[in-house]
Amino acid sequence: MKVILPDQGVRVIEGGPRTVGALLHEIGANPLEVIVSRNGKLVPEQATIGGDDEIRIIRIAHGG
Amino acid sequence: MTRSGSSVSRTGDRSVEPRAVPAGVPVCACCAEPAVVYQPVTRRHLCGTHLVRDVEERVRTTIQENGQIHAGDRVAVGLSGGKDSTALLVILSRLLATWPGASLVAITVDEGIAGYRADTMRAAESLTQRLGVDHRIVTFRDLIGDDLDTLLVGRETQACTICGILRKKALADAAQAAGATSIATGHNLDDEAQSVLMNAFRGDLPRLVRTTGTGTSEAFLPRIKPLMSIPEKEIASYLFVQDLFSVLPECPYTKYALRAEVRTLLSDYECRHPGTMQHLIESKKTIERYCAGTPVMEPLHLCRECGDPCSGDLCQVCRLRHLLEK
Repeated sequence: MKVILPDQGVRVIEGGPRTVGALLHEIGANPLEVIVSRNGKLVPEQATIGGDDEIRIIRIAHGG
Repeated sequence: MTRSGSSVSRTGDRSVEPRAVPAGVPVCACCAEPAVVYQPVTRRHLCGTHLVRDVEERVRTTIQENGQIHAGDRVAVGLSGGKDSTALLVILSRLLATWPGASLVAITVDEGIAGYRADTMRAAESLTQRLGVDHRIVTFRDLIGDDLDTLLVGRETQACTICGILRKKALADAAQAAGATSIATGHNLDDEAQSVLMNAFRGDLPRLVRTTGTGTSEAFLPRIKPLMSIPEKEIASYLFVQDLFSVLPECPYTKYALRAEVRTLLSDYECRHPGTMQHLIESKKTIERYCAGTPVMEPLHLCRECGDPCSGDLCQVCRLRHLLEK
């Protein structure tokens, strides 16, 4: 699974399927401060991801 | 819950043709489409179509319940070009299409922040052209003679305070000049909850209960916040599913903002205890009710230098002009 991080860094994560929420927990991202797409489609935290998926994590909280 | 859709789901007057739901994706609570968002408070998953309908309906309800927009109003939308103001303008342009005589004007304040503002300015111009909304641009240079970057040399830690005062003034002046009857800003549920907590941390009761959204003071144009019941994540999702979400640069001064700390604290807490932000806002409303008719705020005066309404002898902008020697 290829994961594109909010800073545009790319990480390849091996291992079995997991939920989006579990992935966010692994990388230390707060689910309320990001949205996540799988292969270009928005998915909720309960969606299961893995295999050849391309996951993009987009930070949404900006400004002062 | 994960299942594949097999029948046409009908909601309202429009039907949704279901697609095969990808493996491992929850389905919408209203149809058989794959969900794009989860609402923890209502414990519902929604697909893109129903998220858009739900957000727009909640904004319509907020506007109606709070009397924010009336027939014939000209609403000035503060349009930074970021996600919240983009969503606000998109939603209002749809809702006001059926509002008799109401019109919109978008106002973008160019503070003069290198490496940040150009992208959002382009996004604002592109959006207003696409929606056919009148667009005005005002700059800090016009207002006070310098851009924000120059004003902040040696004062970077005061960035959000200085910027906030000047931006508010620039927006109010531009709204008046455009003949607006109210100013709409893109503050969302998260912003509102953060403000409650920040004012509580500061012990600032007058600011906590101050509201300019009901038109109770004739000295100011009413300021309305139609997105105040929508969580930030749902606003971003609303834009994303309509291909309206752009990844834009972050303001370089954000790191100095108290709000950034409060946002992290509050979103961590909301994640573990869904509903916390809404509870904070309800607490504010309760305090407002208790304070109704009580002289919590100082009476309004006119600034001795510019004549603008303010709570003291000098308004914040004139105080700032003295500080900045402008």
